[in-house]
Amino acid sequence: MTWKHMNDYKHYGIEDLVWDTFFRQWVLSPTRETDNKWKEWLSENPEMAEKINQSRQIVLSLQVKELEISNLEIAEIVKETISRTKPLLGDNTSKGGFEIIPFYRKFWFKIAASFTLIILFGWLAKSGFNRNNQLSNIQKEIVTEEQEKFTEKINSTSASILIVLKDGSKITLAPLSTIRYPENFANKKREVYLTGEAFFDISKDPNRPFFVYANELVTKVLGTSFRIKAYKTSKEITVEVKTGRVSVFAQSDPDIKEKTANHELEGIVLSPNQKIIYARDQVRMVKTLVEKPEIIIPKAQIPQFIFEDVPVTDVFDSIAKTYGIDILYDEELLEGCPLTAILDNQTLHEKLTIICKAIEANYEILDGQIVVHGKGCRN
Amino acid sequence: MHSTTHLKEVPDDKIIWQRFLAGEVEAFDHLMTLHFRTLFRYGSKFSRDKEFVKDNIQDLFLILWERRQNLSHDIAVKPYLMASLRRLMHRSAMSKPLLSDNSVEEINGNFEIEFSVEEEYIENESSLVVTQKLKKLLDELPLRQKEVVYLKYFQEMDRSQISEVMNISPQTVSNLLQIAIKQLKKHWKSELFIFFLIHFII
Repeated sequence: MTWKHMNDYKHYGIEDLVWDTFFRQWVLSPTRETDNKWKEWLSENPEMAEKINQSRQIVLSLQVKELEISNLEIAEIVKETISRTKPLLGDNTSKGGFEIIPFYRKFWFKIAASFTLIILFGWLAKSGFNRNNQLSNIQKEIVTEEQEKFTEKINSTSASILIVLKDGSKITLAPLSTIRYPENFANKKREVYLTGEAFFDISKDPNRPFFVYANELVTKVLGTSFRIKAYKTSKEITVEVKTGRVSVFAQSDPDIKEKTANHELEGIVLSPNQKIIYARDQVRMVKTLVEKPEIIIPKAQIPQFIFEDVPVTDVFDSIAKTYGIDILYDEELLEGCPLTAILDNQTLHEKLTIICKAIEANYEILDGQIVVHGKGCRN
Repeated sequence: MHSTTHLKEVPDDKIIWQRFLAGEVEAFDHLMTLHFRTLFRYGSKFSRDKEFVKDNIQDLFLILWERRQNLSHDIAVKPYLMASLRRLMHRSAMSKPLLSDNSVEEINGNFEIEFSVEEEYIENESSLVVTQKLKKLLDELPLRQKEVVYLKYFQEMDRSQISEVMNISPQTVSNLLQIAIKQLKKHWKSELFIFFLIHFII
C-alpha cells in the first residue's frame, strides 16, 4: 500500500479500518512517517475523526492473552540448552549426538528413534524407487556419459553471479546455488541442472529446447526468461515467468520421455507473470501469479490508465492486455458499471483493488488467472 | 512502504541465522533468546502443558544445531522456526502416549487462543460494546481461520510466511483470511445495527 491510496480510506467503515494492515500498523507501532501521514489525512478529512478514533480504541483494546515468561527463565533455558550441545561440538557426523543425551528426556529419545526410522524408510523407498524410475536413470546416464565435459559453478559469494553460456543464454545464479552444464550442448537439446535459485534469460533456438532440471521439476523452454527457486531444503519449488512461455513437468511424469523429446511445449504451460508452485511433499503443482506482475508490452504501447466514465469491462481488458494476464468476469453483469479513476502508478493488485472497491466486487487468483466476482451495477 | 522496522529486522535475523549455521555458539544463544518468547506463546496455543512446550522449543534448537550443515541459509527465520516447532510438537504429541498418560487430543488439530478486551484503551461505552462483540465473533471462528487471523494481525506476518508456518498454500491462506474477515465484518455489521436499533428504541 502506498501513500497515494490514502484517498481510499475516505470510504472505509470502522469494520474495514479495524482489519486494515496499514491502519493497524499506525495504531500499534507508529513511526514518525506514518503518524504525520495519518494526521495530515485526518485534517483533510475531519468527518472521519470519529470513525478513526473508535477504530483506534478497538485495535488497541482487542488483544490476545499470551502466557508470560520472564527474561530470566528464558536465559536459563537457553543456557541449559547450549550446555547440552557441547558434547556434539566438533562431531559433524550427526549420528552419535543423539545418544549422548541422557535417556531421562524420554520423548527426545523417541524422536531420535523416529528419525532413524524415517531415514530407513526413506532409504528403502528410494532404493526401490530408483529401480523403477526411468527418469532418474536417464538423468544419471547423461551425467555419467559426458561427465568430463560438464562444468559446475557454485556461487559461494554473497551476491548473484552472471554466467554466459556458449549459446548466448545468460544465467544469474543466486548465492549458495549451484548450476551444472555441459561445455558444449547436444545437437537436439540444451540441458542444465540447478540446485538453489537462478534467473534464466535463454536465447531463442526453437530446434534446441532448453531444459532445466531442478530437484523433482523439469522446466522446458524455447527462448524466454524466467526464475527458478529449487533449494534442497525448501518444501517448494517455484518457477516464475518473465517473458515468453515455458512448460513445466515433474520428473516423475510417466510421459516424460515424449515430453522432453518433441519440440512442442507440453505439461503445464506458463505465460508471463505466471508462476508455478510445486509442493514437494504433496507432489502437487499449483498455478498462480507472480507476487508483483509486471507490464509485458513495450513502453511505447502502454495505454494511459486514466478512465472517465468508461465501462469497467474495457478497463479490465486494457489491464489484461498490458500485463498479459487473463481477467475473467461476467460480462453481462459488469457491462453497466462505469469507472472513473486514474490508475497510472499502481501495481496490478492495487489497480484491481481500487477498481473492485469502486464497483463493489472482489477478485481472486485462480489457476494463474484473475477472476472478478461482482453483483453488477444495475439496481 | 511496509513498515521500516520490518525491513531492519529481517537482515539482522538472517545474519544471526547464518552465523548459527556456521556453528557459532554465541549465535545459538542470540537466536534462541530472540525467538523464545514468540515460540513459547505460539506453542502454547497447541498445548496447555507449559513444560511440554518448553521442552519442544529446546529440542527444536538442538535438532537445528545438529542438522545445521544441511539447512538453507536463505530463509525467513521467524516463520521457519514457528513452522518447525509446530511440526515437532505434533510429532512429539503423537509419540507421547506411549510413554506417559497425558492426553494428546488437545494437541492434535487444536489451536487455543484467548482474545481479551483491555478496557484501559476504551473511552466510551459504545466502543466497549462493539469491541466485546468483536471478541465474541473472533472466539467463534473455526480453528484454522483463528490461526490465520492470529498470524496475520497479531504476529504481523504476510501471506507467504503464514503459508509456510501452517504448511498450506498461499492461496489457501488468502481464502481462509478472506472468509474469516468477511464473517467478522458481516456479523459485526448486523450486530452493530441491532445495537444501534436498540439504542434508538430506548
